[in-house]
Amino acid sequence: MMSVSLNINGRDRSVNVDGADTLLDVLREQVGLLGTKEGCVEGECGACTVLIDGAPVDSCIYAAAAAGGRQVTTIEGLARPGDYSPIQQAFIDGGGVQCGFCTPGFIVTLTALLRRNPDPSRDEINNALSGNICRCTGYSQIIEAALLVAAAATSTPTPAGAVAQ
Amino acid sequence: MTMVGDSIARSDAGAKVQGGAMYGVDHREVGMLHGAILRSPVAAGRIVSLDTSAAEALAGVYLVCSAADQPETMAGWVLKDQRLFATGNVRFEGEPIALVVAEDRATALAGVAAIALVIDELPGVDLETACSSEARVIHPDWQSYVPAGGEAADYPRRGNVAAEMRAEPAGVDEAFARAAQVIEDRFTTNRQYQAYLEPKAAVATYADGRYTIHTSVQHPYNVRERVAQLLGVRVSAVRVVGKTIGGGFGGKLDASVEPIAAFAAKLTGRPVKIRNTRTEDILTCPSRENAIVTMRTALDADGVMIARDVTVEMDNGAFSAEMPWLASLPLHILGAIYELAGPTRVISRLWYTNTAPTGAFRGVGGTYLYMALEQHTDHIANTLLVDRLQFRRAHLIHDGSASLSGQVLGDAGILAEGYDELERVAPWQQVLADLKPWQGVGIASGVWMTNPMPGQATVKMNEDGTVHVITGATENGSGALTMGVTQIVAHELGVNAANVYVTMPDTDVSGYDAGSQGSRTTHIVGRAALDAAIEVKRQLFDVAANLLEADPADLTIVDGRVSVVGSPAVSIDIADVANAALWTVGAVAATSSYTSPAIPFDAGCGSGVLFTTMSTPTYHVHMAVVEIDPVTGRVKIVRYVVIQEVGRAINPVGVRGQIQGAVTQGIGLALYESLRIGADCRYLERSLEAYRLPLALDIPEVEIVLMEHPDTNGPFGAKGVAEPAVVFAPAAIINAVSHALGRSITALPVTPEEVLSIIEEIEGEA
Repeated sequence: MMSVSLNINGRDRSVNVDGADTLLDVLREQVGLLGTKEGCVEGECGACTVLIDGAPVDSCIYAAAAAGGRQVTTIEGLARPGDYSPIQQAFIDGGGVQCGFCTPGFIVTLTALLRRNPDPSRDEINNALSGNICRCTGYSQIIEAALLVAAAATSTPTPAGAVAQ
Repeated sequence: MTMVGDSIARSDAGAKVQGGAMYGVDHREVGMLHGAILRSPVAAGRIVSLDTSAAEALAGVYLVCSAADQPETMAGWVLKDQRLFATGNVRFEGEPIALVVAEDRATALAGVAAIALVIDELPGVDLETACSSEARVIHPDWQSYVPAGGEAADYPRRGNVAAEMRAEPAGVDEAFARAAQVIEDRFTTNRQYQAYLEPKAAVATYADGRYTIHTSVQHPYNVRERVAQLLGVRVSAVRVVGKTIGGGFGGKLDASVEPIAAFAAKLTGRPVKIRNTRTEDILTCPSRENAIVTMRTALDADGVMIARDVTVEMDNGAFSAEMPWLASLPLHILGAIYELAGPTRVISRLWYTNTAPTGAFRGVGGTYLYMALEQHTDHIANTLLVDRLQFRRAHLIHDGSASLSGQVLGDAGILAEGYDELERVAPWQQVLADLKPWQGVGIASGVWMTNPMPGQATVKMNEDGTVHVITGATENGSGALTMGVTQIVAHELGVNAANVYVTMPDTDVSGYDAGSQGSRTTHIVGRAALDAAIEVKRQLFDVAANLLEADPADLTIVDGRVSVVGSPAVSIDIADVANAALWTVGAVAATSSYTSPAIPFDAGCGSGVLFTTMSTPTYHVHMAVVEIDPVTGRVKIVRYVVIQEVGRAINPVGVRGQIQGAVTQGIGLALYESLRIGADCRYLERSLEAYRLPLALDIPEVEIVLMEHPDTNGPFGAKGVAEPAVVFAPAAIINAVSHALGRSITALPVTPEEVLSIIEEIEGEA
């Protein structure tokens, strides 16, 4: 066991981890953040996507120990409680959610994309989503949600996918 | 005011986008232990020894149990051929043999690894072997098995034949004897895994002689019954509490880890959680069955179809779940689209094999049956040198056509209307003229149904004027409850949809419901909830009439206020009415149930016809344009059009999501997804990395045209919507690929490797 200090959703904290513990295990079992989902534990489905220093990673194959000193943002950290980020709102409005189990991963991935590229094309969105599997929606309404946020961002000064905290 | 026909946001979307929705796998209880299952590593064999002493000796292990501990009861959805743990023999890879319960999951897994298991392995029986009729009988005791419905509900089965349906009208052989030519095809399809993103999980507790199970399943009442059967208790001793479902698509209709978790909770006196790894989930999920379809059509000298002969061999897997019932499906599909000038014989057989039990996956066998029928239809049209679209239109069923079970399809003319709609959005000659090299176009069409099984809903009005709908129905993600039923009740009661709350299922609290299957929830539960809402409204009007000194018949509800028609100033808030009711007639609430009416059919149509008719039929026409990359073999969907009869679209955004998602699963079955069974009867694909699912970049924007012929029984006319689009997509895509390559396609899926081998074959011939 080793103690690891990291920042999760704006809060500094320490966790005790084993070398084999994944970041997903620590988030779900120690920190109690259950919004990040476990779908495959092999980095294939993207349900466990979180941001590490702003970049999307599959937390199910990311060693918790490697997160030391880094900023981790989970689905719970994208907006204030009771509030929605633009991409979250677009998912709600446009039918981007069905069963919802993949949704946190999609929203985290798209948040990173829209910060990096506030006006992505459909192809750029498709490529960004190549590590996220949705079994319900057939993707169209998810892609449209991202395009909607991009369109709104390019017509107003508010940055897309802004972090509320 | 949010009403039927509006695209309101689903009521559970907020929690889902914030990570706040709690799924079955997220549920935990204080003092919870963790279970892990030792599963059979081989497909078939005899258990020689099972030594659990090393596991029991591990620190932190609370319980190890196996067949030696289990109740002497048999269980099953249609046929009772199952036990809790493998008993004497193992019959498929993944079958539970023993359970280890420990204080944490890692210890439980270590306990499983410490068990010494010796199995005398036997050669596995797969579908081809089973069909050969010389195979080892997988269940030597098959005659002792009793149907879940009792001895009287038994049906044709023998040895490895788990069910058989035969419809053999007179004159088939005679017609083939005088045929000028016979068109014959043999099709195969591999299994398709539901691949919901949330692997199965359950948490069980035991107290006061009763089991409580928190789990995310599509059919809580079915799971309750299976747990009770397997544990040898009455159904009321089991309470199933639903959690948010992370996808199901048919794979979560029956019990999986729930009965074992419940058994362990009683033995340990502690809450016990069991969750599948993804590999365990793939190995044990009731996937869409693999099958072999042979189809022969006799043509006379004028090219008239004078008879058809179809045989369907379906893989049941090692135990019977829902499949004996689904073995009747070919009868309905094969007669309900094109009319022949002669009889059709259909024989379908369901075979026990040493593979995981199969089951329902959205669209069930309709996917490959329509693929076979439509590819065969192209084969006939091409042989006769008739345009494929013209051939179809010339033979379409029409209003009053009868299915092969004798069901009269009074509105089958909608099918021709669907073709008219297709011509409007995609003029056939234009589509053909626009095709580029390596492109092809395919058409598929037909009838699908809305599951008729019963459901109940209670509608109660709270003292603040909001509404609760209490139901055992499940929101599997489709929006049937969080959009459909919510909007139906809001519309009828004149309240905002945001003020309607649909509860999670709880078999102790909510009335019976037959689960989210076969597109039934909006239609069946929506109707039950509508009827209950109508009664709630009557109660409100009775009370309000006194308060407003008006005739109940003159009252209406608008924006949450009861008012007198024509005098909107004379009104009262429904919250005040609901409060007043407490002190007079009592709390405002009503319960209603609904099941689709029985449909007349011809009882002499065949033997072993367990499901007899297609309830609330809907009609569909699909068109796919594909382009083949001759270098990689990749098939790109260039254009996809769905013409779909829905009765009434309660929520157009929701309907679109169902169709887009269903087509995507159909694309998966047609082009990528294949759960292959190896020579040792074990799956070759065992992870999401190996099992190729459709990704965003594979999927086109589906063009959708809705036809709305309101159903007289459906709530506001709604019929089933969610399932049909997956049924026709493989057929349309395979016909398009076949057209592009100029070759019959006889196996699902047609992967890039398959496409390349067909291209090589063509080049070899040239």
